[in-house]
Amino acid sequence: MKKYTDLEFLKLSKGKKFLYKITRFFCSIPQKILGIFVALWNLIKKIAFAVKDEAADIFSTFVHGDWKTKVSFLVMGFGNLARGQILRGLLFLLFEGVFIAYMVLAGGYWMSMLPSLGKVGPEEKYDFILDTYYTVYNDNSFKILLYGVLTIFFIIAFIYTWRVNIRQNKMAEKILASGKKLKSGKDDMRSLVDDQFHKTLMSLPLTGILIFTVMPIVFMILVAFTNYDGAHDGYYSNLFGWVGMDNFNTMLNWNVNSGGSVQSYAATFGEVLAWTLMWAFFATFTNYFLGMFVAMAINKKGINLKKLWRTVLVMTIAIPQFISLLYVSKMFAKNGIINGFLMNMGWIEQALPFWEDPTWARITVIITNIWIGIPYLMLITTGILMNIPSDLYESARIDGANPWQQYTKITLPYMLFVTGPYLLTSFTGNMNNFNVIYLLTGGAPTNPAASSAAGTVGYTDLLITWLFKITQGAESQYYLASVVGILVFVVVALISLVVYNVLPSIKNEEDFQ
Amino acid sequence: MSENNVTAPVKRHMGLKTSRALSNTAIYALLICISVIWLIPFVCILLQSFRVELKGPVGYVLPKQWGFDNYIALFKTDFPRWYVNTFVSALITAVLQTIIVLCMSYTLSRFRFKMRKPLMRFMLILGMFPGMLTMIILYRVLSDLGLTQENAVPGLILVYIASSGMGYYVSKGFFDTIPKSLDEAARVDGATRFQVLKKIILPLSKPIVIYTILTAFMGPWGDYVFAQYISFGTSSGMNVAVGMYRWLNHDQISSSYTMFCAGGVLVAIPVTALFLCLQKYYVEGVTGGAVKG
Amino acid sequence: MASVKLTDVKKIYDNKVTAVHDFNLEIADKEFVVFVGPSGCGKSTTLRMIAGLEDISDGTVEIDGVVVNDLQPKDRDIAMVFQNYALYPHMTVYDNIAFSLRLKKMPEDQVYEKVTNAAEILGITEYLTRKPRALSGGQRQRVAIGRAMVRNAKVFLMDEPLSNLDAKLRNQMRAEIILLRQKLDTTFVYVTHDQTEAMTLGDRIVIMRDGIIEQVGTPTEVFEMPRNIFVAEFIGAPKMNLINTKLEASGGKYYVRPFGAKIEVTGEKGEELLNAGIAPQEITLGVRPEHMVLSDANDESAIPCTLEVNEMMGSELHLHVYTEDGTRLIVRIPTINLTLEQRKELVYGKKLYITFEGKVMHFFDQEKGLNLIYG
Repeated sequence: MKKYTDLEFLKLSKGKKFLYKITRFFCSIPQKILGIFVALWNLIKKIAFAVKDEAADIFSTFVHGDWKTKVSFLVMGFGNLARGQILRGLLFLLFEGVFIAYMVLAGGYWMSMLPSLGKVGPEEKYDFILDTYYTVYNDNSFKILLYGVLTIFFIIAFIYTWRVNIRQNKMAEKILASGKKLKSGKDDMRSLVDDQFHKTLMSLPLTGILIFTVMPIVFMILVAFTNYDGAHDGYYSNLFGWVGMDNFNTMLNWNVNSGGSVQSYAATFGEVLAWTLMWAFFATFTNYFLGMFVAMAINKKGINLKKLWRTVLVMTIAIPQFISLLYVSKMFAKNGIINGFLMNMGWIEQALPFWEDPTWARITVIITNIWIGIPYLMLITTGILMNIPSDLYESARIDGANPWQQYTKITLPYMLFVTGPYLLTSFTGNMNNFNVIYLLTGGAPTNPAASSAAGTVGYTDLLITWLFKITQGAESQYYLASVVGILVFVVVALISLVVYNVLPSIKNEEDFQ
Repeated sequence: MSENNVTAPVKRHMGLKTSRALSNTAIYALLICISVIWLIPFVCILLQSFRVELKGPVGYVLPKQWGFDNYIALFKTDFPRWYVNTFVSALITAVLQTIIVLCMSYTLSRFRFKMRKPLMRFMLILGMFPGMLTMIILYRVLSDLGLTQENAVPGLILVYIASSGMGYYVSKGFFDTIPKSLDEAARVDGATRFQVLKKIILPLSKPIVIYTILTAFMGPWGDYVFAQYISFGTSSGMNVAVGMYRWLNHDQISSSYTMFCAGGVLVAIPVTALFLCLQKYYVEGVTGGAVKG
Repeated sequence: MASVKLTDVKKIYDNKVTAVHDFNLEIADKEFVVFVGPSGCGKSTTLRMIAGLEDISDGTVEIDGVVVNDLQPKDRDIAMVFQNYALYPHMTVYDNIAFSLRLKKMPEDQVYEKVTNAAEILGITEYLTRKPRALSGGQRQRVAIGRAMVRNAKVFLMDEPLSNLDAKLRNQMRAEIILLRQKLDTTFVYVTHDQTEAMTLGDRIVIMRDGIIEQVGTPTEVFEMPRNIFVAEFIGAPKMNLINTKLEASGGKYYVRPFGAKIEVTGEKGEELLNAGIAPQEITLGVRPEHMVLSDANDESAIPCTLEVNEMMGSELHLHVYTEDGTRLIVRIPTINLTLEQRKELVYGKKLYITFEGKVMHFFDQEKGLNLIYG
């Protein structure tokens, strides 16, 4: 493929330019994928070097350090205490004490159980006196996995703190050698609202994220490699254990399983994924263009009562979705208002199958989503449309552009440039749009073939609602939900990565400042 | 200049005027249509909440018999309890979440520390995991702590606010528009970073603070998924969404449909009123957020 | 009031770009120093390092003999005026000026006294209750200066304070800054890209390029004794004409041969060349436009050229001409030196002869662009 220079490219005809761009794009894909691998390799190399540097630094600190530093390798914070930084020293010491106590009292046990996820499950025991059977609960796989993960987090935190402790000793020696004074506890406290203020501000949010997002995600990723479900809940029914890649093999297997199913997991997953992508595409772009259209209609010169029109639409954002969506779902029902109205008018004889027929249901969902989404998009686009410098339009009109040309040559490129990142997040957001689907249809109508593979799968089910359904009921195949969750992540990440590299508006954020 | 040249533009002008009037009429018609379509469901809910004669879904809109029966019936159910649950969790979440989001976004907008970019990238990646997945484990953990079912409200608040630090985008975008030289001037003037936040940034960020409070309040007010998980079948721990959802199940819809409408009206009115009062700030937040991405 | 000393100061950004290389400068107490240079030369970065708004990658900054590298801006006892004024938009002018005093927990009556005093000096008393957005650019500038004034700081830093003003206001404010400086009598560090500001305000000028100091000196020094071509071109407007030519010596006298003409180096320059023992060589000759004159006679010092553009500036004419080999030169002639008749003839394509005196030349070596005498 010949590569044109910029000026040569300008000479091409319109069609050739388009063709050239397309071929360039597809030719660049292998290179981009290669680029990802190169980046990964570089990252690994960087990490390896960083570890090496750290190790070397730790070693040299030990060799060259004074006795206070050397003791600090064993007793954290000793150096701080010996050099008069009481507050820091005590904190280090306290942390080390807590860590050792925890590891001895509990952490060790959890770590030792982690490889097996529990050895003794619940047992039936016979009570001779009462002449009944009773159950003795023993190991708890769930807790083992949970506290095992927590312990690993804790160990990592300890290693990091230990490293900080050593680095501080090195710094302290250097500062004292240069004849300056070390920071006192009071200085440290003061810097927490000044130059170190970001640490204060972020400590609470990051702790929350760590405990309530990172930890659960790590846990759920691990669950995908176990057989945790309703029948193996790890305590009351049965223990669960590691199963390796089995769940992924099941999910991505195209062979039809035995046991009465007519469709493989992979096929079911593929079907749901296809609809999810289709839905995300339509939901994003119908809203985007229609929302922009409404915004332009309201913005148009000479239209009065602009505020009223906007308020009517904005009001619908305020009403909780569970009310509006549930109500709309009933409006479209067989005996709902819409069918009732159409029949009363005599336009139809039989109720329209809004929710009963797969295609009807899918279209109705998309249309209802337009109703939900337009007010929001109208707001977003209004702001941006008003930001387009009006002299651009004036100059275009003088150059002889009609309204449609003004739209395609000025408005649209500008909008796409500015809202590019928003469109991306909106697309991935729609892929995970639980509310609209679940409250409108609950996934209905049921897809019998797909359902034979895993639980109830409907034609309007997205991956996310399917995932939710899998975790419900007695079967509760958590391991399967985890696998689906991981796959959703992979799909979203891939799309984001590709689009992110194509978007023109992804620039250094500092450009905006 | 010949006479033709003089008259031609005048004619053209007339044409412009009529075509503009025509297109404006079309747009008015369209806007009226849109307004009607957008308002119909809400009008229907309102009307049907006053229907007395039948409690199930029907194919007509105007009640044949009007009355407050449905509203009275609401108070014989657990609805007041759900309402209080929802209100309390929404209010507390609004306050705490706003504080967390502002801390996070101010930090990421104003401080340049080594881990800043990796941290932002990490949170972006975290956000790609379906949040629902974490509910499975959070439910088990909260249940061990006794924060589910009838004690769902504190548990729910914890879930709502815990990860709210990840929702920093919009307010960070806003903070980014406040010139950094203001911070610098204040710091040269003798302010600590904390004083910069308190005396300079926050007073200038009223719209975004209100936007954050509003969205933080509206989230729990209409949440279904998390509340459904945490309250899990215990009526006294439910919020309005979970409680009222059941009224539309197959077995209850014929007796509770109009009650759902009445409940919907009671849930929607306060938040809509609040929303319309603060519309200006909401719009500002939404537009700013989209531009910043 | 204090001295400022920068020793081997470096600024290296995260992306390994070096913005400032080994910056060494001592600023005396009560001195007015101007950093000047094209954009991106590191002048603002240096100022911000003094202020503590940028980390110092290497080297030390001392204020009043104390190393301030690790001090926060608030602990350095400096005052600063920003290019975009950085007025707090939600506070009135009074609150803006009082901000730093209140942070110091000064009693309100003292705050009042100081603020009104400063407002008086700057002539903004009647605007004290207004918000910044209700002020014009010049008034905002005064508020920004007032805010810095009341602090009685050791060092007064100004980062392009006039560049957002229009030309007329800029001239006026420039004069006011000179007055202000006499009133405050403290150490000033002033950053600008405008050589006129630098020349008129500074006791000493620091000319920077690409993070390196090109020359430090009084306005007279940098104008009359530029160390290299960059300084020579940067100071003075329109910029100095540069001509590649030959320096010849015969009989204890030096000659230059621009475009075939032969001009003797006279006056101090000739002596200096002789004292420095400069050998005849290929040089770059610099002559300021105001030192060029029209010459009628077709003698050996005249350079034949063609007029391209004639800019009438009022008190003077800027003639853009090109020589026979296409080199473009600018000649600046006072209007009164020409009769109306002569002026009318100065149109496009007119053939002219120009020349310059021997005592106004600057000599640079062609390789590095250094001044042969002062480089």
